[in-house]
Amino acid sequence: MASPVVAQRPAETPARPGRRRRPGIGRRDHLIGWLLIAPALVYFIIFLLYPALAALYYSFTEWDLHSAPIWVGLQNYTDLFFDDVKYPHFWKSIQVTLQYTLVAVPLTLVAALGQALLINAIRRGSNLFRLLLFLPVVTAEAAVGAIWRWLYDPQYGLVNAVLGLVGIPRQNWLNTPELVIPALAFIAAWQCGISMIIYLAGLKSIPESIREAAVIDGAGPVQRFFKVTVPMLRPTTFYLVVTGIIAALQVFGLVYVIFSGGGNRSVTGGPEQSGLAYVLHIYLYAFRYNAMGAACAMSFILLVFIMIITFVQFKFMKQEAS
Amino acid sequence: MIRRVTGAAAAAVLLAGLAACGGGSEEGGAGSATELTYWMFQDRTPQAGEVVEKIRTDFEKANPGVKVNIVKIPKDDYNTKLGSALAGNTVPDVGILDQPLVSRFAQEGTIKEVPAGTLNEADFWEGALNTNKVGGKLYGFPIDHTAVALFYNKALVPTPPKTWDELKSISAAIHQKDPKVAGIVVPKGDGYGAWMWPGVVGGAGGQMVDEANKKILFDQAPAVEALQLWVDLLPSSPREITDSDQAFANGLAGMMISGPWDVATIKDQFPDLDFNVAPLPYKTTPAGNIGGENAVVFTKGKNEQLAWKWLQHLTNSTNNTVLAQALGGFPVNKEAAERDAATFGEQQQAFLEQLKVAQARPALPQWIQINDEIIAPALESALSGKMTAQEALTDAANKTRALLGWNS
Repeated sequence: MASPVVAQRPAETPARPGRRRRPGIGRRDHLIGWLLIAPALVYFIIFLLYPALAALYYSFTEWDLHSAPIWVGLQNYTDLFFDDVKYPHFWKSIQVTLQYTLVAVPLTLVAALGQALLINAIRRGSNLFRLLLFLPVVTAEAAVGAIWRWLYDPQYGLVNAVLGLVGIPRQNWLNTPELVIPALAFIAAWQCGISMIIYLAGLKSIPESIREAAVIDGAGPVQRFFKVTVPMLRPTTFYLVVTGIIAALQVFGLVYVIFSGGGNRSVTGGPEQSGLAYVLHIYLYAFRYNAMGAACAMSFILLVFIMIITFVQFKFMKQEAS
Repeated sequence: MIRRVTGAAAAAVLLAGLAACGGGSEEGGAGSATELTYWMFQDRTPQAGEVVEKIRTDFEKANPGVKVNIVKIPKDDYNTKLGSALAGNTVPDVGILDQPLVSRFAQEGTIKEVPAGTLNEADFWEGALNTNKVGGKLYGFPIDHTAVALFYNKALVPTPPKTWDELKSISAAIHQKDPKVAGIVVPKGDGYGAWMWPGVVGGAGGQMVDEANKKILFDQAPAVEALQLWVDLLPSSPREITDSDQAFANGLAGMMISGPWDVATIKDQFPDLDFNVAPLPYKTTPAGNIGGENAVVFTKGKNEQLAWKWLQHLTNSTNNTVLAQALGGFPVNKEAAERDAATFGEQQQAFLEQLKVAQARPALPQWIQINDEIIAPALESALSGKMTAQEALTDAANKTRALLGWNS
């Protein structure tokens, strides 16, 4: 439902090929071309395009999955925005998701860049560390949730034990509304392995000559970092910010597991709805309250919002290395 | 030439792939056997699977030419799968249905009303039976039922409290004696806490809703007192202790409210804990909540007569005890329950007491949503001290009235 999609790097777009047909490409080649992409195309149409269009249709209906959908026009949309009796936590879920995004994305990028710099700096054993730092990404979400529930445990948790060493009093991380978002964002930062690998690739692609030139000009390590490394990594950072925000706005698995894992904890989004992520809210309406029409409308609101955010980023953020 | 071969091969592979996707259609039962499809939750243990299997083969022996096809689905995915099946017209003939969903499904016409003469109401416990009733009509069979009761650590609580006052004083005493130990794990303002809470409201003689007269009652005195009880327990039961994983089983809390499923888990994982279970303390009237599994016959399914027969088979006095125990609950068949009560073990007796006074959830299609989205947050705002119990419940009751379009 909310798996972050790692898209292709948009950095270098190849020049458009000429309109004129190249010689030697006949109809048969077209056919083979189509055949070759057919599996991907079929997948795209059946599993992405059709469901998306169906969801758009259902977003204009009242549908409980059991009986025939009833056309209600824009009512789902207006109710979501203005009827806080029907959807009491809609705006809360938006607030939670935005807060999470604002905390989690920068934290993830800083952690990823820090790890990449460290791995880039060591000569031996970098493969091992890369593997270890990447492990959280390939760990099953359910296991991650269970582990962090333990780490955040108010009585026995390791997090409190470590903080206790520097004199910070014990916190009840996952049960204090104000601490839920930072706690979740910290887990996201711990899972920054993919960003770390991409940063690492970015670091490797900075020409050694630029660094040497900076050294000759008398730049210290700090200056080199801010004047050379950071600007040279700008395309990478841009890509990671864009995809990071898209993924953070769709956070689901982690929240679902943390606040529902085990026992009879119910999935209403943590203490005082402080962890009620937008997609969790969609899930609850779709599958718990049988309001699929409203859930589809929420999905489309999210889609439009993500498109706007991404457009704004492409328009106003510096993308080129300098 | 090579190109042509490649093209053909690619096409063949593609077609094969598509064919594989499209396969897996139902292969009809061999011969003329009538096939009944029954959906249930995934077994909790391998032993439970054997119990179900035996009941199935017994049924097939008694009904020659009948094949019961049991489909087991993990509980967390059940409603999602059932929803998709209904949308896709691949419904089972008969299957388990969550108690709070019965009223919605009944009003939509997704499930059939139990025909007169199919079920003898006197054979069943009333609370369990009522979870199948919508507007006075019966829409399903109870299969097993369960309730919550008070778990207590014998080392910390020698005699369990019977009344709310005793509960408060025992909780206070435990925490005073050792500040690291909480009196009781106070339920939270989440969907689960809101599910248990009506049992406490009932303990003060109150009710959540008067469905017949369309009245919301959970802003009245009994409900306010019930919520206030939980608020009053918090000082002697701090959250930083009780929010720890398995606080009761680890000996960090003297008492907790939970269901029979935890008896087995605690015995298994914490064999040294000396605990027992008592009925919920009450203020004026013994009361409790109810959960468990109902089974219904789907309108779009086939073999209706056989489906009812199957449900009779599951709930008769011979099968109901073993089945209910395998499912993690208690028999709904009175004869079975009374005959086998002694065999359930010490810690289970309190639940049996509790079930005799259990009250079904309001049969409103929106109840899950009201429970999760309105009542749970109201409990939480009172428990966190952001509102008084009365303010929180008045607000919640008004929201519920607005949602349901009720005036009082």
